[in-house]
Amino acid sequence: MFESYSNTMEPTAQPMTPQESLDLITSMIRQAQRNVQQSSYYFLLWGWVVALSHASAYVLLMMDYRRPYLVWLLTIPAWIITVYKSRQQGRTARSVSHLDHITWALWTSFGICIFTLVAFGYKINFQLNAVILLVCALPTSVSGVILRFKPLIWGGVCFWLCGIASFLLPASWQHIVGLVAIVSGYLVPGYLLRNKLKNV
Amino acid sequence: MFKELDPLLHAQLRLAVMSLLMSLESAEFTFLKEKTSSTAGNLSVQLDKLAEAEYIVLEKTFRGKKPLTTCRITPKGIAAFEQYVNDLKQYLNHNPS
Repeated sequence: MFESYSNTMEPTAQPMTPQESLDLITSMIRQAQRNVQQSSYYFLLWGWVVALSHASAYVLLMMDYRRPYLVWLLTIPAWIITVYKSRQQGRTARSVSHLDHITWALWTSFGICIFTLVAFGYKINFQLNAVILLVCALPTSVSGVILRFKPLIWGGVCFWLCGIASFLLPASWQHIVGLVAIVSGYLVPGYLLRNKLKNV
Repeated sequence: MFKELDPLLHAQLRLAVMSLLMSLESAEFTFLKEKTSSTAGNLSVQLDKLAEAEYIVLEKTFRGKKPLTTCRITPKGIAAFEQYVNDLKQYLNHNPS
């Protein structure tokens, strides 16, 4: 006779039926699904930082300020916070799934690509907006697939559409396109993701 | 004739732990305890049984000054779990409810 347990997983006399076994397996696999709470933090952090940078750069440009790009220095503390917080989360994570590793690799590769684009942007006269928006589309939509969260998939589509718009529109529109992209690609899905978890 | 279900896996808490570990690369003792709603004593006993059968490995380290037990499923554990699920399916296919 097989051992069996009650709902609190303590020993009982009742044997577990095959159907109960399958139900238990299904329930535990659902339990192991990735906690999405932490993901929304990064979308909101970078959503606000980039949105503020685009808005400020646009205003400074309209005021004929000579170096509006200086507002992008705002991203330096965001990088530091991101690296520090992700390392801290990695050390204290109570469970690690294969999807966690995929997500980490995806966003780390993305970070390296963005860093490379910014570092060598001078080679193409910093005409980077369209390329950055297209690069943003990939990890955003793939994260949506990993988290099974459609607003992020649509966020990736918004980045892609804004990337196309960025290729077609004049320089004066680039900050507006960037702002629309970051609000629709990071901020809206980020808040929806946070609210989804609050309601679970 | 149906194969007898693996008695090591056909127990609620051990099956719950194995199901969780099948979906994860590693999990801490406190995570498993929370997800299975089990007591620390019972979970500890069942984890030892799974480790003795080499279905899982237990890594005992420290986080700061606190002891930390991390569990991982082994290839032998994965094979046993897959066999258990196949045996269950076979049983359910021949005994539909």
